[in-house]
Amino acid sequence: MTPERWQEVEEVLQSALDRAPQERDSFLDQACAGDEELKSEAAALIRAHDDAGDFIEQPAIAQDARVMFGELPDINIGRTVGHYRIIERLGAGGMGEVYLAQDARLNRLVALKILPAHFISDDARLRRFQREARAASALNHPNILTIHEVGEAEEIHFIATEFIDGQTIRELIARHHLSLEETLEIAAQVAFALNAAHAAGIVHRDIKPENIMRRADGIVKILDFGIAKLIEPSTQEFSNEAPTIIKAQTETGLVIGTVGYMSPEQARALPVDERTDIWSLGVVLYEMVAGRAPFAGATRMDTLVSILEHEPPPLSQSTQDASPQLEELQRIVNKALRKERSERYQTAAAMLADLKSIRRELDFAETPLASSSSIATPVIGPATRPPQTRYLFPLLIAAALLLSLLAGTFLYRRSLTRSSAQGANATASKPYSQMSEAEQLAFINEQEQRISAMMGDRPVKLNDEALRAIKRDVDSYVARTGSTSNEPGKEDLRLIYARAIPYAPLIAGSFAARKVPVIIGLYLPMIESEYKACFENRVGAKGLFQFLPQTARQYGVAHEEMCDVEKMTPAAAHYIADRMAELGDDSESMTLVLLSYNRGPEWVRSSLRQLRDADNYERNFWTLFANRDKLDETFQQENAFYVPKFFAAAIIGENPHAFGLQIAPLSSLTHTTTPAQP
Amino acid sequence: MTTLSQQDVTELLLEWQQGDKCALDKLTPLVYDELRRIAHRYVQHERDGHTLQTTALVNEAYVRLVGGQGIEWQNRAHFFAVTAQVMRHILIDHARRRRYAKHGGEAQRVSFDDASVMSPERAAELVALDEALDELARLDARKGRVVELRYFGGLSLEETADVLDVSVMTVRRDWRAAKAWLYRALGGDQR
Repeated sequence: MTPERWQEVEEVLQSALDRAPQERDSFLDQACAGDEELKSEAAALIRAHDDAGDFIEQPAIAQDARVMFGELPDINIGRTVGHYRIIERLGAGGMGEVYLAQDARLNRLVALKILPAHFISDDARLRRFQREARAASALNHPNILTIHEVGEAEEIHFIATEFIDGQTIRELIARHHLSLEETLEIAAQVAFALNAAHAAGIVHRDIKPENIMRRADGIVKILDFGIAKLIEPSTQEFSNEAPTIIKAQTETGLVIGTVGYMSPEQARALPVDERTDIWSLGVVLYEMVAGRAPFAGATRMDTLVSILEHEPPPLSQSTQDASPQLEELQRIVNKALRKERSERYQTAAAMLADLKSIRRELDFAETPLASSSSIATPVIGPATRPPQTRYLFPLLIAAALLLSLLAGTFLYRRSLTRSSAQGANATASKPYSQMSEAEQLAFINEQEQRISAMMGDRPVKLNDEALRAIKRDVDSYVARTGSTSNEPGKEDLRLIYARAIPYAPLIAGSFAARKVPVIIGLYLPMIESEYKACFENRVGAKGLFQFLPQTARQYGVAHEEMCDVEKMTPAAAHYIADRMAELGDDSESMTLVLLSYNRGPEWVRSSLRQLRDADNYERNFWTLFANRDKLDETFQQENAFYVPKFFAAAIIGENPHAFGLQIAPLSSLTHTTTPAQP
Repeated sequence: MTTLSQQDVTELLLEWQQGDKCALDKLTPLVYDELRRIAHRYVQHERDGHTLQTTALVNEAYVRLVGGQGIEWQNRAHFFAVTAQVMRHILIDHARRRRYAKHGGEAQRVSFDDASVMSPERAAELVALDEALDELARLDARKGRVVELRYFGGLSLEETADVLDVSVMTVRRDWRAAKAWLYRALGGDQR
């Protein structure tokens, strides 16, 4: 389009917008007589205008202040609301800000939702909301998020709920391919919960992938029962120019929420009942299989029309799954998505029964696996198999090991004896916690030298500052002894090291094959993922070694395989070997290789270049650390602490007894091929 | 960092106004630093800190950088415009880096406890918006500026009108057309 043409279009657009909506069509006909292109352009912009809602209305700073100005201290962190102490911000949504908090009375973690100010300004709505939330809090079901309290303290209205460490179905759909089994499992658990809620007379009204979470153990939870829709702004607030637009809540600001999960009766603004939830579950079920929503249009109105008028394309069009069960699943979806309520499943129990019957067929088709996996099955709902049977073995070992650790018995007796002989001279006789600070520093110094030697580095005498940097991380690990948190980065020290044990042999093999010191492979996962095979950070880095999907792909690991340690571990060894090759001579110091793992080799090289004129220039990380005031801010703030943290993790893992861990040093477990099953 | 006097800042503003692109490069870090300092303090002292008042922020930065005495209107308006550009730069830069970050780079350093991270989805949204906004500015420069001032600079309709020296009605009409144009350019609510 040229600027001149845009002027013409704008003129028509503005004049049309100045008119009442019902007059716009005839105005366009008249104003664009003979110029169809002009007309369609203007019409499209009018539609966009009507649909745009609050698109870009909130300044970027409101949403991205933290990003723009670095870590703005969150005013709420550390404060108390009633008897809840706020620990960190989990996110923001239609419900306002959501925080992780500690319930001081019951000493448990909760998710604390603080209602937004605009919401509590409307008295009637607030009261209705509180009434519904209290009704929902009476629901007691393993697949429904437990509401602990609906309360108010110092004029802050909040809801305290169970804290769930897991992923929403939206995230699961976006990042993984959900298998038919997983899909059925999720849908069945949701139907199970809906059935209980409906029996109690409570309708959810807003079942959608964002409102369903799956925990790491496979348990599915429905969030915000009976209250999600109440929190949405009423239609009048936003509809001065376009009365038909339905405003939906969103998480992200620019992309405006979807009406895609609404039932036909909701689209028509008719009263809802439990069959509305059945419809929405049908939509979610469809999306889990097809990877896209069944009703979608270019605009909100188109989507609504689609919900009211159209049948979604058959599932077979959008999945390669050719199992006979797909056809039956299609039948379930069809029945849930009947436009006429009376033709749908009349109860969630009926839908659940059909879902279960496909499940049974799948199980029957794969009997040999089904029986062996039942140990790790969630206790509720229909029979489950964990999504990745291949990890079951290490997981079981870790679980068994942990149990025995807690009971204080010794497994791996053979390894233990050997390792204590190996490390006898180096290992302190006294527990770390009973040492004086000077002794602790001396211990760290001695152990740093030992780890360095295991990495093949030249011995370097560390200055006091460097020792203290390592000590800081050692101390913060130690502080986690006895922690009851199940949050990443806060779990009990004993738990995270126990998790490492089953992986040690695989790591040792993969790293040795690439001629990368095994010690690197053993402790990188500790600082990257704390040995959570499927951990994913906020920017999408994933797996034991926290690769970004594109890097993983370069090293031959597909996105859906990133939790597969047998694939990721060799890829990580390969990746590090490549970085070593890129670093050339500088790779003689493994501390620099570690840094480049974190920061990229170009940055390592450019940092070294900057110090070339410094006295005592030695090519290793500690020189960079000692001269960090000459390097850039990113280095000073983050990268400077990556390598010390690695050493801290390794010092603990190689001296387990000094830290109260009843395991063998990780490096001693690498010679056994596969640990014998207890 | 070199410290510039208030006089220097005023001169830079003038130079930039007269079309000197280098002036903006020199102003950016100053403005950014000042905004950042003030933002920190605001957030610490205000109870309802997450509704950061951009205008107050920018005004205070202006007074500190240019001086509170005898403020020339033209200067102040330009300062608002610079601020909007600076904020756009910072945010889009960040979004681009976030979007293209590789394992060994920026993204990797993000650990469990880092809250100041932009989601990849938001980064993609911002980059797309930035590109669409450039295209809009090519068709209609004033609409481009209206969006920049309002969305990135956080200015109200009235303040935007002041900065651009046009009527509020004009800004209002520019805004609705620009918003529709951008919404459509970004694919509306297509999923």
